[in-house]
Amino acid sequence: MDPILDLEGLTKRFGDHLAVDNLSFTVPRGSVFGLLGPNGAGKTTTIRMIMRIILPDEGAALLDGRPVDDDRRRLIGYLPEERGLYRKMKVLEHLTFFGTTRGLPPKEAKKRASAWLERFELGDWATHKVEDLSKGMQQKVQFIGTILHRPQMLILDEPFSGLDPINTRELKDLLLEMRKEGVTVVLSTHVLPQVDELCDHICLINRARPILTGALADIRERFGGNTWLVKGSFNGDGIDALPGVSSVRPLEERLLVELEAGAPSRELLSALIERGDVETFTRFVPDLENIFIRAVEEDKAHAE
Amino acid sequence: MLSRIFAIIRREYLERVRTKAFWISTIIVPVFLGAMIIIPSWLAVRGGGTFNVAVLDLSGHFAQPVADEVSHMLSSDKEKLVINLKPIEPGPDPAATRERVKNAVQAQKYDGMLVLPATLPGSGQPEYLAPNVAAFKLLSVLERSVNNAVVAARLTGAGLDPSQVRELTKRVGLKTLKLGTKGEETRDQGQGFLLSYAFMLIIYMSVLMYGLYVMRGVLEEKTNRIVEVVIATVKPFELMLGKILGIGAVGLTQFLIWGIAMMVVTAPGAAAAVGLSGMQMPSFPPLLMIFFVVYFVLGFLLFGTLYAGIGAAFDTEQEAQNFQFVIMTPLIASLLLMVQVINQPDSALSVVLSLIPFFTPMLMFLRMTLVQVPALQLAASVILMVATILGAAWVVGKIYRVGILMHGSKPKMKDLVRWIREA
Repeated sequence: MDPILDLEGLTKRFGDHLAVDNLSFTVPRGSVFGLLGPNGAGKTTTIRMIMRIILPDEGAALLDGRPVDDDRRRLIGYLPEERGLYRKMKVLEHLTFFGTTRGLPPKEAKKRASAWLERFELGDWATHKVEDLSKGMQQKVQFIGTILHRPQMLILDEPFSGLDPINTRELKDLLLEMRKEGVTVVLSTHVLPQVDELCDHICLINRARPILTGALADIRERFGGNTWLVKGSFNGDGIDALPGVSSVRPLEERLLVELEAGAPSRELLSALIERGDVETFTRFVPDLENIFIRAVEEDKAHAE
Repeated sequence: MLSRIFAIIRREYLERVRTKAFWISTIIVPVFLGAMIIIPSWLAVRGGGTFNVAVLDLSGHFAQPVADEVSHMLSSDKEKLVINLKPIEPGPDPAATRERVKNAVQAQKYDGMLVLPATLPGSGQPEYLAPNVAAFKLLSVLERSVNNAVVAARLTGAGLDPSQVRELTKRVGLKTLKLGTKGEETRDQGQGFLLSYAFMLIIYMSVLMYGLYVMRGVLEEKTNRIVEVVIATVKPFELMLGKILGIGAVGLTQFLIWGIAMMVVTAPGAAAAVGLSGMQMPSFPPLLMIFFVVYFVLGFLLFGTLYAGIGAAFDTEQEAQNFQFVIMTPLIASLLLMVQVINQPDSALSVVLSLIPFFTPMLMFLRMTLVQVPALQLAASVILMVATILGAAWVVGKIYRVGILMHGSKPKMKDLVRWIREA
């Protein structure tokens, strides 16, 4: 794994309140990394520390192995959670301004901004004032401002908040497209289903502490474990008494059968076929929400 | 780094220069100041029109001398002031007659009534009764006429010749000449000072106005939540600096426009064209002009920086307003201390006051218009101001860095101190 961003024991206190507690994780180059957790978990504080908007009490964030300083953080495209625009400025001028503060020559900034406005179907709004735009359109303008200088890394704090489903889809597609071009994306959200299909690496934060970090596939494997989702027309009675089965519960029209670790699944399958027709027999892949709830419970049990 | 600060300056500058408010204030301020200087002097000399004044002469022998004096005085009047004096017989009951004429004045049959008491030319004071007692020229003519008539009667009574006395007691007058730096003598009857005074007020108003722009700008970025987007690429200090410089450039643009306008107006022939041929255009030395700009720039940088700090520390303009008096106090104090400086521009107290950086932009400028301030003092004032500005920028920069990201609870003094220490 080729890391692009390394967090080493980031810690931040606000008075007596511990906002982020000894947080470490690694973001692989070219991945979409989800910083997940409920409201108030410390996601925004973490991101602000990476961007040096606030300085950590302890620990450091390394970009390509070196501390993020004022010059190097400009290599990152940053969309803060609290974002706004100058209401009285015209859209294209505003984007040009964003571009020039990120080091682009004004002409180049203007050219790129125009191209992006066209792509987001905002070309007709270029000479309108920002305040005339709808909220969704303002969000798009904001996002264009973030990527105008073609950063190799994006840090987006709650990028989907305030977007309707169509715009959310549009933004997701764009992020996946940018990922194909090699851009690394770090995004935070508290709405887990939004990023279920987007992230390949995650860090789950709860109450200032990381409780789960790593590749999403591995995590799913771990939490899915030896659990199988079965659908068919067979007699379901007494399945829980079969050898190796530790629990059975219904899930919609299917059965969720959990096997003991190491118990072979083919024994379950053949037992089921003897009882009737099996339509589907698949490994259960838990969604992020599911994983998160269980991780929090495990964490609590661990703490006790 | 420079290109980013320049991007901020450019944005601040263009956003403000394009507003209507900028152009309206650019036009209104000189008109207002011009009016303030011209109207009083215009009112003082002007006063045409026709007035009907009833004269109730209780003494019985002053109506005619007063009338003679009035017509003598008006014979040389350029503005065609006409005063028609209507003598009224006091009759057997003077008090009743006074009441009757008073009613007539009330009914606007007369513009006013002049009452000459029976005791004249001894003691007793003549009265002028009218609904409008602000007709300065009329009043001045009446007062001088009555005065002349009564004094003449007194002189005659004492056996003196009034015309001879008048000749002997003619006013001598004092010709005021302003001595310039190169020994030149120019006639100055105070217009020069009035103009400097106006310029000092411009410094005061501009520093205040543009300082408030800085505060509002910072507050806008906070409430619009744009600040975090910007400071992800621009350092907070760069943003603050760019904002202050951009807004300061707007102020200088305004002065440039005024300067050009003034050059056009004071150009030979222009004054005559607008009908002010009688008014002598006061001279305004280049050194004063330079220091006008220097003190505006320094004053704005100092107060603008402080305003930026207040904008960063608070969430809304209302909250900021309560704290604003801290900044307003030195500005208003320099207006109050002006009297001291005008009376004794070279006293030790005035020198010290004008060297205090918070007062310098106004008081040192004021002293420059009154006396020749030694170059050493001017240099000292600039150095002290620059040092204070750097100090203020250092402290405010820290408050700014923390404050622009703070929302919600209103910071107390001890919070501000903590921000400065921690940042």
